[in-house]
Amino acid sequence: MKSSPVFEQIDRFKEDLDKCTKCGFCMSSCPVYQEERIESSVARGKIMLIRALLDGELGLTDGMAEQLNRCTLCMTCAVNCPAGTHVPSVITAARADKVKQRGLPFPYGIIYRWLLPRRRLFGWVVRLASWFQGIFLPKTEGTIRHLSFFLAALGRGRHIPQIAPKFLRQSVPEINNPPDGVAVKCTVGYFTGCMTDFVFPDLGIKIINFLTRNGVKVVVPRGQGCCGAPVFLGAGDFDTGRKMADSNVRAFKDLDYIITDCATCASAMKDYAKFLADNEERKQEYTEFAGKIKDITEFLVDILQLPPSAYKVAPEFKGKTVTWHEPCHLGRYLGVKEQPRKILKSIPDINFVEMPDADRCCGMAGTFSIYFYELSKKIADKKVASIESTGADIVVTDCPGCQIQLIDSTTRHGAPQKVMHIMELFE
Amino acid sequence: MINSKHIDKLRRIVGKENVLSTQEELLAYSYDATNLWRSLPDVVVLPTSAREISAILKLANESGIPVTPRGGGTNVSGGSIPIKGGIVLCTTRMDRIIEINKANLDAIVEPGVILQDLQEALAKEGLFFPPDPQSAAGCTMGGVVAENSGGPSCLKYGVAKQYVLGLEVVLADGSIMKLGGLTPKNRTGYELAMLFTGSEGTLGIISKLTLRLLPSPKASKTIVAVISDVAVAGETVTEIIASSVLPSKVEFVDNWTFEKFRGLLPDAILDKSQVILLIQVDGLPATVDAEARQVVDICKSRAGEVRVAQDQAEADRYWQARSAHFSDISSRTHTIVNEDVSVPRDKIADFIRLSQESAKKYDVPISFAGHVGDGNFHPVVLTDNRNEEHYNRSLKCVEEIIEIALSLGGVLSGEHGIGLEKQRFLKKAMDPLAIDIMKKIKDVLDPNHILNPGKIWEETSDEE
Repeated sequence: MKSSPVFEQIDRFKEDLDKCTKCGFCMSSCPVYQEERIESSVARGKIMLIRALLDGELGLTDGMAEQLNRCTLCMTCAVNCPAGTHVPSVITAARADKVKQRGLPFPYGIIYRWLLPRRRLFGWVVRLASWFQGIFLPKTEGTIRHLSFFLAALGRGRHIPQIAPKFLRQSVPEINNPPDGVAVKCTVGYFTGCMTDFVFPDLGIKIINFLTRNGVKVVVPRGQGCCGAPVFLGAGDFDTGRKMADSNVRAFKDLDYIITDCATCASAMKDYAKFLADNEERKQEYTEFAGKIKDITEFLVDILQLPPSAYKVAPEFKGKTVTWHEPCHLGRYLGVKEQPRKILKSIPDINFVEMPDADRCCGMAGTFSIYFYELSKKIADKKVASIESTGADIVVTDCPGCQIQLIDSTTRHGAPQKVMHIMELFE
Repeated sequence: MINSKHIDKLRRIVGKENVLSTQEELLAYSYDATNLWRSLPDVVVLPTSAREISAILKLANESGIPVTPRGGGTNVSGGSIPIKGGIVLCTTRMDRIIEINKANLDAIVEPGVILQDLQEALAKEGLFFPPDPQSAAGCTMGGVVAENSGGPSCLKYGVAKQYVLGLEVVLADGSIMKLGGLTPKNRTGYELAMLFTGSEGTLGIISKLTLRLLPSPKASKTIVAVISDVAVAGETVTEIIASSVLPSKVEFVDNWTFEKFRGLLPDAILDKSQVILLIQVDGLPATVDAEARQVVDICKSRAGEVRVAQDQAEADRYWQARSAHFSDISSRTHTIVNEDVSVPRDKIADFIRLSQESAKKYDVPISFAGHVGDGNFHPVVLTDNRNEEHYNRSLKCVEEIIEIALSLGGVLSGEHGIGLEKQRFLKKAMDPLAIDIMKKIKDVLDPNHILNPGKIWEETSDEE
């Protein structure tokens, strides 16, 4: 057997790899299989390919690398698996072993290894690129794409985001106290994520104001960086991912709760211990860190237990019909399914309608949408059809990554729905 | 046998995006849902029309290239494994539901439609297609008919063949044949559509299906009974049916699968029981209530615990636990030998008792689950094929279990088909004259033996 030293990460998930019995329960609901209808696209096929890798029947060829990347990690297969196989973990591990052996292709290596871990430098590059944006690319209002793939995206036909004139970190102080007369109930750290920081700073400001108004002292630690999702989950670069994890853990060390407005960031950070802990000390630190992370809706409903009257809908959205897109990372990964719906149902000023297959993957999936843009668009087309079938005015979600995909795809289809973060509904 | 010229021709027929030939892609078509069979094809072709299937078969027939038809590949017989290499002809990209006709209660579909997708589309119209193999989330309609699949609902509603009104079939020489029609009654000539139903891809490739549908039952109820003893469970089922209630499903799991029911049913009762029966009655609400009461009364005198699911969510949890049986058992051991015998209903208790004795004799663990209502059982022997001695004992045990089923008037395969997995038992289970007739039919329809070669019967040297 030539496995153990070479496939160090896959070996850690050997139990999952062995559980699969090839029964096929993963097939009809897999968003990639629905589009491609080929066996190597679906969980069962990936498992068989990875087994062949361990057995030495197949090698880490370009073809294998492509098959490992061809997955949105939406976790639908794991939910439907009667044997309890967590296929996304196995695929993530296989991506990591792939990177160890083959390295990262240009330009991803530069972006992931050098740019994302250096927050300030990254900010400068983003700013620089935003100037070029106006020169080289059409500025269509509202069409944007995932920031962390900024350079890679150039020339791929998608519109580059409107970079905010002022980043969130430049707009708010590190410590944000409740206004005078409002007692401090608790203190939280706000993990802003790259998207909110660079593209949606207004969302960040709204969240900070919402929280402080409701008696929460909000700390925005300056030492925080990218969550690492595109680096260790998407690209499989665990070494860089670990550095990013360590600095985030340090940045939030003394806080009781860490609030996020991005389901992907939250679930990636909760997965530090699972994928990146290479010793007992890190495992303990990462696990403690994970325990403090709360999605914003989860925090408002479960911890603060705010009454419906606390959710004051901004005047321009009053009376609107709103539907909800459930991000994979929120529903399946974090298990936060009821909390956002509870908020939306409780507000008298809007009309909430559930869309069909609200929890179906939108096809964004970070790196996946760069590698397989056409496929990503096809997956999004089904989501747009769901959204349009509700007749809603607004679709809200809880993940800026999904938001970008939804903006891109509703615009492509000329769908009338406005795409927003759930927290943007409020004053 | 197959060379790059053939592959170029295939690319011209179906377009290069529908030909798969990398090592990774080929590996993904080397298996089905069985444990041990594996064989790589030389190329995978995904046609999108009957015309393309026809052109592929013409090429293969002229060049003597084996063609293994495949849908979702969820079969558990080895039937879709390209044991002789060549072409895997996979129909998953022919996945259109062409028409659902509520007035006629029929649907016209392409062979690659996933059963669950069809069920969802039909449910919106208040209709259903009753055969319900456990692999519904992956299996495709061409396979459902070519394997003549069944499932739990067969007790009341029958198997796939009862729902085939017509087929379009591409023959080995590439000719396209239309069989049957749109009407449930059709007495025109031989029932040739039935020849292809259950043919396991050895006689032709189904390129279009006209299916008979039923209106969805208005209501259903699920009753769960936990029973201490296997024989008592058998008697309970017999009595339910003797009382003029025909449930839509009567399923049986033994205590190997009880883990999946923990939290749903009381531990104290599960700990001292051997069997869970899941019974579903369906129909008009008033009938369902009355039948459910009758089933509960019969079960109560024998079961440690009887539950009626209060809502669909509770019922779903029981049925999900039942569905998990196969993968649950499979994940407990390296290798399973899963059988599919069917015995007359009044022999169920005898069958289980004798099989358990056999397992004891060979000292191998055995688990039972199945569609007890129609006598179709899946005894599973848990083994490890890396341990030759244990594996051989397991195979001997399975052989004996099959003998037991046959001696009780049962059959070798209730719903999985023969494929590769059961062909060594075929001679025991089928009249030699009938096997001979099958071979003659094969010679007429596929004289060069290109279609799914090496399946159903064991080849003798002069046939190869």
